[in-house]
Amino acid sequence: MASTSSTLFSLCSSFSAHCKISPTPSLSKPLSFTKPNFASSFKLPQKLAFSSSPSLPQSATVPKVSEIDAPAVAEPAATQIVEVAKEDEPKREEIFAVVMVGGRQYIVIPGRFLYVQRLKGTNVNDKIALNKVLLVGTKTTTYIGKPVVTNAVVHAVVEEQGLNKKVIVFKYKKKKNYRRNIGHRQPNTRVRITGITGFENYPAVTLDSIAKSS
Amino acid sequence: MMNKKEILKLAKGFRGRAKNCIRIARERVEKALQYSYRDRRTKKRDMRSLWIQRISAGTRQHNVHYGHFMHGLKKENIQLNRKVLSEISMHEPYSFKALVDISREAFPGNRHIYHRPRKVDMSITA
Repeated sequence: MASTSSTLFSLCSSFSAHCKISPTPSLSKPLSFTKPNFASSFKLPQKLAFSSSPSLPQSATVPKVSEIDAPAVAEPAATQIVEVAKEDEPKREEIFAVVMVGGRQYIVIPGRFLYVQRLKGTNVNDKIALNKVLLVGTKTTTYIGKPVVTNAVVHAVVEEQGLNKKVIVFKYKKKKNYRRNIGHRQPNTRVRITGITGFENYPAVTLDSIAKSS
Repeated sequence: MMNKKEILKLAKGFRGRAKNCIRIARERVEKALQYSYRDRRTKKRDMRSLWIQRISAGTRQHNVHYGHFMHGLKKENIQLNRKVLSEISMHEPYSFKALVDISREAFPGNRHIYHRPRKVDMSITA
C-alpha cells in the first residue's frame, strides 16, 4: 500500500472561514511527538521550497511522553526516553488528509507540524478544528471529497505564532536613480496535527475495488 | 543592504571579486536582489508547471491525458489543487488511481485513447 509517511507539506488556510477554536485547559503534562527517523524519509526535491521540515521540536531535552503509550504517566527518567522514542514510531496512525487552510491545501498526517498563514484570534495551545477536508486516505481506503469529505475534521493544536524568514524586496530601476529596499516577514502559525476524525461514514474507495477495476 | 558588511554577507558564493570587493559586490548584490524579486513570481509559475508535468505523467500511466483528467475532476467538483495532486500521484498511487477512475467516469472522452507506438530497440548488435 502506498506509504502515507512519505509526504510532508506545510499548508495554510484562512482561519476565519474554516476553523473553530476552543480554549484548552492548561496542559498538565508536556506533550510532544518524537519522530526520530522520519526526517530522512521526507526529503522532497529542492524545488518544493514550501515544504516544512519535520525537525524535532526544540524541547528535545524535556522528557518526552508519548500520548499513546502512557497517558497517565510522566516519567522523567532518562532510561524511559529511549524506549518511548522507539515505541512511538510505529504507532503513528497510517492516515493522511488533504486539508485547506489559509487558501492553500496541505497534505497532513497526525503528529507532524505545519506552518500555515497566521490564524488571527488564536493563542498558543489552542485546539483547532479544520473543517475543510478534501481527501482522507488510510492504508486500505480513500475518501475523496466532492469537494469536501462531510463531517471530517482535522484536529490540531496551535504551537507557535511567529514570522517567516525575512525576504528582501529590492526594487531598482536602472539609470533613474530609483532604489527601494524593503524587508518583509510574513506572519505564520505553526500548528501540530493531532488527529483526523469523522470520515468513516462517507462513500469510500477501497483497495479491493481499485484492484478489480484495473 | 545598508552597509558594506551586510552587502558582503549577501555576496557569499559569488564569483571572483564580487564576493570580496565592495564596489563589485554592490553591483552584483543589487542584481541578485532584483533577480530574486522577479523569480519569486516566476517560481510560482515554474512550480505549477512542474506539478502539471507530474500529474500528466501519473495519469498517462493509466492511459488518461492530463487535460481530460482535470476536466473530469472539475466535473465531479473535486477541488484538489495541482500541488496536492502531484504529491498524491507520486506517493499514494492507489488514491491517485481512484481519482483517475472517478475522472474517467465523468469524462467519457478518455475511452478512445490512441496509444502512440512505443519505440522498439532496433539495434543490430544482439
